[in-house]
Amino acid sequence: MFALRLLWRDWRGGELGILASALVLAVAIVTGISLFADRLQQGITSQSSQFLAADNVLQSPRPIPAEWLQKAESLSLRQAQLLGFDSVVYAGENIDAPMQLAAIKAASDTYPLLGQLEISEQAFGVSRKVDNGPPAGEVWLDPRLLPLMNLAIGDRLFVGETQLLISRVIVSEPDRGGNAFGFGPRVLMNIADIPATGIIQPASRVNYRYLFAGDAKALEQFGDWLQPQMQPSHKWLSLEDSQPRISQSLKRAEQFLLLAGALGVALAGIAIALAARRYSERHYDYVAMMKSLGATSTKIMSLYVGNLLLLGVISTLIGCALGGLIQQLFMLILQDYFSLSSLPALSFRPFMVGAVTAFVCLFAFAIPPLLSLQSASPLRVLRRDIVQTGLSNAVTYGVGISGVAVLMAWYSQNISLTLAVLAGVILTFLIVGSLAWFLLRSSTKLGMQAGSSWRLALASMRRRGMQNSVQVVIFSLAIMLLLLLALIRGSLIEEWQLQLPEGTPNHFLVNVAEKEVAAVADLLAIQQLPAQPIFPLVRGRLEFINGEATAELIARTDPSLANNLDREMNMTWSDIPPSDNVVTAGKWWPSDSDEALVSVESRLAQRLGLKLGDELLFLIGSQRLSVKVSSIRELDWESMKPNFYMVFPQLLLERYPATYMTSFYLPADKKLFLNQFLRSFPTITVIEMDAVIKQIRTIVSQVSGAVELVLGLIVLSGLLVLIASVQASLDSRFQESAILRTLGARRQLVLGSLAIEFSSLGFLAGILAAFSAELSVYALQTTVLNMNYVIHPWVWVAGPLIGALLIGSTGYITCRKVVNTPPVEVLRQL
Amino acid sequence: MISARNIEKTVTTSEGELCILKAINLEIKSGETIAIVGSSGSGKSTLLGLLAGLDVPSKGAILLNDEDITQLTEDQRAKVRADHVGFVFQSFQLLPSLTALENVMLPAELNGVSSAKALAQKYLERVGLVSRMHHYPRQLSGGEQQRVALARAFASQPKILFADEPTGNLDTTTGSQVIDLLFDLNREEGATLILVTHEKRLADRCQRSVQLEGGQIVADTQSPQADAVSEIG
Repeated sequence: MFALRLLWRDWRGGELGILASALVLAVAIVTGISLFADRLQQGITSQSSQFLAADNVLQSPRPIPAEWLQKAESLSLRQAQLLGFDSVVYAGENIDAPMQLAAIKAASDTYPLLGQLEISEQAFGVSRKVDNGPPAGEVWLDPRLLPLMNLAIGDRLFVGETQLLISRVIVSEPDRGGNAFGFGPRVLMNIADIPATGIIQPASRVNYRYLFAGDAKALEQFGDWLQPQMQPSHKWLSLEDSQPRISQSLKRAEQFLLLAGALGVALAGIAIALAARRYSERHYDYVAMMKSLGATSTKIMSLYVGNLLLLGVISTLIGCALGGLIQQLFMLILQDYFSLSSLPALSFRPFMVGAVTAFVCLFAFAIPPLLSLQSASPLRVLRRDIVQTGLSNAVTYGVGISGVAVLMAWYSQNISLTLAVLAGVILTFLIVGSLAWFLLRSSTKLGMQAGSSWRLALASMRRRGMQNSVQVVIFSLAIMLLLLLALIRGSLIEEWQLQLPEGTPNHFLVNVAEKEVAAVADLLAIQQLPAQPIFPLVRGRLEFINGEATAELIARTDPSLANNLDREMNMTWSDIPPSDNVVTAGKWWPSDSDEALVSVESRLAQRLGLKLGDELLFLIGSQRLSVKVSSIRELDWESMKPNFYMVFPQLLLERYPATYMTSFYLPADKKLFLNQFLRSFPTITVIEMDAVIKQIRTIVSQVSGAVELVLGLIVLSGLLVLIASVQASLDSRFQESAILRTLGARRQLVLGSLAIEFSSLGFLAGILAAFSAELSVYALQTTVLNMNYVIHPWVWVAGPLIGALLIGSTGYITCRKVVNTPPVEVLRQL
Repeated sequence: MISARNIEKTVTTSEGELCILKAINLEIKSGETIAIVGSSGSGKSTLLGLLAGLDVPSKGAILLNDEDITQLTEDQRAKVRADHVGFVFQSFQLLPSLTALENVMLPAELNGVSSAKALAQKYLERVGLVSRMHHYPRQLSGGEQQRVALARAFASQPKILFADEPTGNLDTTTGSQVIDLLFDLNREEGATLILVTHEKRLADRCQRSVQLEGGQIVADTQSPQADAVSEIG
């Protein structure tokens, strides 16, 4: 009860303002971020899972054993089945009825398990979303098929030996992204109608997909149970396999948010430590008085620690509420990207994370300075000059840094990231601290020739040399973190957007015959559709490596490669290295070479143990081609561009039958052009990637939005640190100002010197911050985030400018009362 | 009541050992009023701190109610202070973030007394400041602040009251008023009063006057008119 009264009195006296605000902010940041990250993560994962229309998919060229499905059933997993194959469909029974090669997908009634199908009652009409595919006896068509085959809704489509009612057009499918179901226009039917078509024979090329969704643990258990029984032709797919780009973006975003959160807490921690130190310094007299009145040190500690715990509980409650609010704000801003109703409910964990953060902050940052109160001498009531010795700075800083380290490791679950960031911060402290001390010292000479406000300011900076060095370090740390976040955020978002810039090719044309190449290029040019280069494609099988059968070699070295190499692969020719490819070993052949050479993609080369000079034997059609490995290439598999394992000299490979492929960007409003295109080139296959690209772009903008909001919160913590740090020197400034003014200094002079002093400190801190931000970005981007580093000139301007303005004005505003308090009042308290 | 036996206090400075007090022997009886006088730097305040158990001597023993407080730990001495001792200081030592009432309540609150508020109000009334009890120290004049400090000192109902230059920060008129109040309250409460001062006028009102010079007692005199003066004053 007394502790509560004490807390209230301290609060009323304004002693706890910064401490409590910093604590509340730390809790709010952490709770807000984890709540948001939690929901964002779940939201994005569930949205991304729609790329599979399930959590996991088992892909197989044959039906799988029934007991596998029973096992899934016993684990309460939801299931759906899909069959995919290419087949020619007819608009009627007459011999001249329009026909078209289509990508047929037959779905069970439960498909899709995740996500929705978008359908329309008429071709290119208004679409709506539904949860299931067509019932038995009906078929939904790609809208392009209707004009292409002169069909309308209500007509019948002939599939194999059966006919189905065309009841809807299908606008989009959640799992259209993967190319598991052929490239032609879509025909979606019910799996129950498959036997009647008579299409599927034992040797048919059919893709069986078994979809599973449900509890993450049950899925994992099922996956583990499946692994030993699966054959090489089976594939157990998760989001990560199907969309490595998205899962990588998500991981990075999560890491960034957590890192930002940890830095925010570190900043708030510094503010807490500064405020606690000032609080305890101001309370030495308080404690000495209580001791003289007979309070034991145990009693005093229990009072203060109890006081602090109470503050912790109250701050946690307020912080959690604020965190919830912040999260709500995030959601509101991002509501265009999210369907709020589809998001999972708030979970309890983020609130717990917030509470733990509050108490770790208290113990690491606030308790150490308070511990020194315990040893306050009661003799201080008689002799104010008794110097209070608290815990050594090393211990105080050590405990604080350990606290931050524990929190960071806990948030990120990543020890190496934590250590990297910590090392950076400590190094910054040391380097910046000594630089600041050196620069402040050298201001002596400058001060000799300066005007009076300047002289006063510089004298004050010199006098508080050590204290100012620490302050500059803290300022520059805060500014550095702000710059760092802005830099990483910028490059992160930029990089994501660069991966898929506006106008990224979103349609691929394959199976283009040599005689069609010119006509296709002309048609695209007439439509003003920018096309990418045209690549020739030759299909071949890698039979022997250095005389050993490929199948035997991979069985011996890397069986997982069997899937890739036991079928024909796409190969191309080129007399220059494809753009974006980097030759890492060997050299490229001169143009017009017809030497028997090949350039191999580096990852494949590594897995097969290939080196320069190895001999590869390919089977192309019925002919054999023996070549030597002349170079190894690295390339980016995540780019939306055609990539090849094997590239040959043109004169060597062009003797073999080839088809061509290219890609182009088709704006959404020109989609109908595909009909015209397919009518002109009925044998060319169009792969539509626009839906996938759109979805990825949506996720990128969601995450970028989140990142910006987090940044805003960090700026707030930074400001708190600044205020706390300025306040730390307030008491001695009160005295100096009082003495100066008693001696006749004008208010303006004192104010001017304050403004100059703080702006100079800020300017200095800004330069040092720019330096350390660049250094940290370099370290982070090259090691942790795997990005390329470029220098950022704006940082060197913004750092000192922000520093001077921000710290100048914060210092000026906070210290204004120094000159507004009558000197006699200050002197009376001395 | 208090017995100082052969005490000595030395401190280490940058210029070597400095002896502040030496060979101090002093017996103070219960209910006695005693002034410790001497010039600046003579060791008055140091002696006061030692007698009150705020500090320990380098040598010698101090018995308070027959208990050697130099053998106690700081926490044990705190307990002794809580039970027996009250203070009044030159610089008032009121806590700026507490109101007058809260300052006076503090000792009782620390000792877990449930009627702290009523007790504090009673003493504030006694020093004539009940109407200003919700004011903060900065809103009070020097004399008023010292009266709050007196209320705080007596609110813990001490057996011994230590006063360190209680009028040092006050003008003569206000100082006299505070002194009158101090002696009146002391008589009412029946406490032993030990005060440090360099004001002869104040020392004369005590029954006994101990003079320090260079850390040693040079005179210990009874002041015959002490009580009479306070009676008349």
